[in-house]
Amino acid sequence: MDFIFEWFRTLYSETGVNLPFIYDEYDRKRMAEGLLTTIWLSLICLFFSVIIGVIGAWLQGSSLKWTRRIVNGYIQLFRNTPPLVQLYFFYFAIGTLLPRVENDWGGTSPMLGSFAWAAISLSFFAGAFNVEIFRSGIEAVPKSTVEAAEALGFSRLQIYRDITLPLAFRVVIPAMNNNLVNLVKTTTLAYAIAVPEMLYEANQIWSDNVNVTEMMIFLLLAYFVLVGVLVAGMNKWERAMKIPGFG
Amino acid sequence: MSYKTDLPVMLPVKPRALEPFKSLKKRHILLIAFLTIVGPSLVFAQTGEFEKSPLAILLDWTPLLLSGFLFNLVISFGAMALGTLVGGLLGLGQVSLFAPTRASSWLVTQFFRNAPWLVLLFFAMFLLPFELNIFGFKLPLPDWFKAILGLSLPVMANVSEIVRGAVRSLPSGQWEAAESLAYTRRQTLWLIILPQCVKRMLPPWMNLYSILTMATVLASIVGVSEVMTLTGRALAAEGGRTDLLAPFYGLVLVLFFIYCYPIARFTVWLEHKFSVIN
Amino acid sequence: MKFKILKTIAVTALISSVSVTAGIADILDTIKERGTLIVGVKADYKPYGFLDSSGTVIGLEPDLAQDVADKLGVAIEYVPVVSSNRMQFLEQGKIDLMIATMTDKPDRRKVVQIVDPNYYSSGTNVLALKSLGLKDWNDLNGKPVCGIQGAFYNKATSQNYGAEIVAFKGTAEAYSALKAGNCAAFVYDDSAIVAKTNDPAWSDYEMPLATIDDAPWGLAVGLGEDNFAALMSEMITGWHKSGRILELEKKWGVTNTPFAKEMHDKYK
Repeated sequence: MDFIFEWFRTLYSETGVNLPFIYDEYDRKRMAEGLLTTIWLSLICLFFSVIIGVIGAWLQGSSLKWTRRIVNGYIQLFRNTPPLVQLYFFYFAIGTLLPRVENDWGGTSPMLGSFAWAAISLSFFAGAFNVEIFRSGIEAVPKSTVEAAEALGFSRLQIYRDITLPLAFRVVIPAMNNNLVNLVKTTTLAYAIAVPEMLYEANQIWSDNVNVTEMMIFLLLAYFVLVGVLVAGMNKWERAMKIPGFG
Repeated sequence: MSYKTDLPVMLPVKPRALEPFKSLKKRHILLIAFLTIVGPSLVFAQTGEFEKSPLAILLDWTPLLLSGFLFNLVISFGAMALGTLVGGLLGLGQVSLFAPTRASSWLVTQFFRNAPWLVLLFFAMFLLPFELNIFGFKLPLPDWFKAILGLSLPVMANVSEIVRGAVRSLPSGQWEAAESLAYTRRQTLWLIILPQCVKRMLPPWMNLYSILTMATVLASIVGVSEVMTLTGRALAAEGGRTDLLAPFYGLVLVLFFIYCYPIARFTVWLEHKFSVIN
Repeated sequence: MKFKILKTIAVTALISSVSVTAGIADILDTIKERGTLIVGVKADYKPYGFLDSSGTVIGLEPDLAQDVADKLGVAIEYVPVVSSNRMQFLEQGKIDLMIATMTDKPDRRKVVQIVDPNYYSSGTNVLALKSLGLKDWNDLNGKPVCGIQGAFYNKATSQNYGAEIVAFKGTAEAYSALKAGNCAAFVYDDSAIVAKTNDPAWSDYEMPLATIDDAPWGLAVGLGEDNFAALMSEMITGWHKSGRILELEKKWGVTNTPFAKEMHDKYK
């Protein structure tokens, strides 16, 4: 492997194209960590935002006025404010309000670190959009199907879990695709609260080496590939879950 | 799309309006402001005798922050206008009959749709020169202009998709009728297709504007003096007091909410008004 | 069809006539012609460059820049910069002069023209909780340490001493994170940290380690601007001679640094 790295070093000295995250061991480690963090953060946020969407859609159908109002309020608040400011608010403002715990370097830290807050904030942000998407999916399930289930003795929760949700899920996959792709792109915002994801590491590298152009192009290509992989995966899944005859 | 069956397994998906707050009443704004600004300021009010309370400090800095917010709005208008213009052309390119145009437009659209907005912004800020030399005239490119260019790239890609979607959603009968009446391709597009598309494009376009307005905050990461940067500098000038964080960021949240929520309601109203009954 | 070809040619010609400008004229003439000196300064680094509530940039370095503008007889315009873009702005020609708490390093001299003699100096140190009892730089091993994105000592601190750098884009965020306990210490210039330890709100914090990398700061002009560099060199010597730096330090509440005193003694 070393000769590949050395080739990139000679590339730098010959042409001036500087890719230190390949030939320099320290930068290579940093970039790999950044990539893993981005992927990990994206997966966690995807998972939790879908769960928040499902739960929120369920609560929106509740008969209690205040439950509906709180859920609607949450959606409006998170959809109409910038995710970056939400991130800052969670990490700096709310983070300092929480109780502190002992940590391993002898001081006290807030309970949740920057990665946790980024995951929470972005999950809630994407979840707000997902609630609406799931709601439109739930409404696509005809009442006759739900009534038939009731007639067969299913409880409300069983209807939601076993009948409505599977059908609704298949319907909303295209819209959710779009939302999840946006979520992966939005993980770059975690850069602002020092989560060591790809953009953050790239920034460190270009501050040290002053090779902004190369790092920018690498980032664009890397995200293009990441999103491409996600879209391809989602398309495959969509085809597997397709309802014959619908759409 | 419709299909004939006796027992429908699934209904077509209808776009859904949220059960509304009918309008943003004064009490809603006050509640939000209380939760995000006043509440935390009071919680942290352990002020010394000569220190000003967080709320007073916030009021001190508010004029400056408001001017920063106006700057955000200027950036959003600029990026939307530029992005819509170029995106419209790109969208028309995507439905062109000429294969290379179609392919290259598709490629450009996909490329800019898949890139994170922040990375595109960095790209524009760092790689565009600060000055253009046209025929001997020097055209300076200030920071905020480069931010507008950077943000217009994803807008352009999204507008292109919206245009393409709207054009394709028209019934093919329209195209066929135009053809039978001997309209050229250009006449068909301009006189028949696009006017009908405008209605369909308006709600997603306004949605995009809302997303763009919120994305203008990203310009703070690349150093443009808009509301987040000014908030950061104000906090630094006040010595990094932790009790000021919640009020200041709360104020920014409230400003954006007050601007974006009416737009969202207006978009929902537009959707209903223009909903096409098939 | 013909019209289309003509259009394409016209557009191509227009685009190729746009070129990136490269300043060949002497910057001093440009400044005098423009009537304004554009200076890059920090806007979030109290007291060297920060904002007052009306939004004007004030501080030690803006005052120094004002001296230069007065000498040239032009107005002044401040462009706020941060560590990660100050050299790029000068390179691109966006600013004429950069006085932005930048440490003088040999590889930076390849990108911008740093003027001799150095006008200021500071070293790297950390701000940490007294209760942590840090004594040596190696005590930072494995601990999260806040920093500012783009600072040169981030890599050194993490590579040499094993600290985990948590870099933020502004000092406000870094100080908040330190106060909240998200990191054990904040690695920064000792001059700023000394000012913070005198602040009553930060009485639980100290600057315990030995200042390392005591490195002079450099103000910079664009590469190749030799006339401007010569002028700035004269100005810096004048500042040291007249004790202007010491005077400004007192004005902005910084304890007189040994470097400033040394340079004043050397040149007076």
